[in-house]
Amino acid sequence: MAAPVLQSELQCARCAGQCLYDPATQALACSSCGNVTRLETPDDAQAAQEFLYDPLAPVPEAEVAFETLVHRCETCGGTVTFVAQSLSTLCPYCDGPVVIDTRDNGYEPMALIPFRVPERDAQARAQDWVKNRIAAPGDLAGIVSKARVAGLYVPFWTFDSTEVIQYWASYKVRRNKRTYTRNTSGHLSMHFDDMLIPASHHVTPLIRDGILHDFYPERLRPYRAGYVAGFAAEQHHQTIAQGLDIKGNEKALLIRNRIKRHINKRGVHNIRYQTDTSGIHYRRILLPVWILHYSHGGKARKVVVCGIQGRAYGERPFSSWKLAGYAAALTSIAVGLGLAWGAAGLL
Amino acid sequence: MFLTLAAPALSALALIAFGTLAGIPAVRKLIAVYEAKHELRQGSTGWLRSIGGWSIIAFWLMTTWFVATIIGDWGATGDLEGAINRSWLRLRVLLEIAMAIMDSD
Repeated sequence: MAAPVLQSELQCARCAGQCLYDPATQALACSSCGNVTRLETPDDAQAAQEFLYDPLAPVPEAEVAFETLVHRCETCGGTVTFVAQSLSTLCPYCDGPVVIDTRDNGYEPMALIPFRVPERDAQARAQDWVKNRIAAPGDLAGIVSKARVAGLYVPFWTFDSTEVIQYWASYKVRRNKRTYTRNTSGHLSMHFDDMLIPASHHVTPLIRDGILHDFYPERLRPYRAGYVAGFAAEQHHQTIAQGLDIKGNEKALLIRNRIKRHINKRGVHNIRYQTDTSGIHYRRILLPVWILHYSHGGKARKVVVCGIQGRAYGERPFSSWKLAGYAAALTSIAVGLGLAWGAAGLL
Repeated sequence: MFLTLAAPALSALALIAFGTLAGIPAVRKLIAVYEAKHELRQGSTGWLRSIGGWSIIAFWLMTTWFVATIIGDWGATGDLEGAINRSWLRLRVLLEIAMAIMDSD
């Protein structure tokens, strides 16, 4: 469970200066004397514990009021808290202006994975990602080189579940130059283990799949102010039922894809299924990301870098001229081959 | 000879222009698929959504190639009507391929 923010934890034991979390050493570092304080505890392994979801639980999970400084963005509606000190007066999600509030209701995070990628590495990876885009506008690299990354803990769910699926579908059979539709049905089971679901609308599933390829629960640590010191953090505001709803949308696509592979026939369509879900376990966690904001063509975009592994993914513009150039080159090849084929009198 | 080839050549140029215009969304999709294959987690929902719809690339290239074969035949024989008639079998094969592509998209 979340520990209250203890200012004493963030105070240097040697000089009473302000300590901030340093991803490079993965410890609290005093900003005055440089003294390093480790944050590991004997209970760290318990942070990976999962909780059983009981849909029939008589009492819903209680919200808690976070007595802290909350930065509410007036542009995107994002709410983030800063522990130790406010590093920015801009929203880390969209770079919009924020207003300060002193209360925020939400749910306590159970654990977090601390930052492992330092700011300078994240900055380099975000800029490299943008510079390596195919058919990007020529001025993009210059614009992005002026942008800075902001460190943020984003709320995520992990869900486990076992699905026993009964399905019905149709597929196509080609016989004697005619296509026939056949119906089929079957059942299969799927197990979802540590399915990561963003609990913030600011991180889309696409960005999640770009930056989080692997998830190691053993890297989870109990939520402590020390890990968040110097970074922004968005608290959990979704109920478990809301998290499961979002998971349901993601799960549906994966189940349909699995059914297609299970049928293993051409032209599978009209898929219907019923699933019996059991063994739902969950965690409310915070995961570290670096977000780089830039604006191109009057449109704000962001690149997100995973604070654990350093993978970058984000939003990008296209150059219409470069797209047309590539299209012209491919069209010319197709036309050239076609002209030669036709002129040779083949089939 | 020059006049006989002028019409097919102009048609080929028009085809390149039209194919380029029609190909811009397809090239965008091609880049999205390339980025998804290299940057997104294989088998994830984001990956599946990004890969989905890749058949637009194949349809664009196949259509362009098919029209070009008629123009090539027309340029070689000088007989547009005959070139169109000879393309029917090719079209049927292409439609078979297109159906297979659509099924696997």
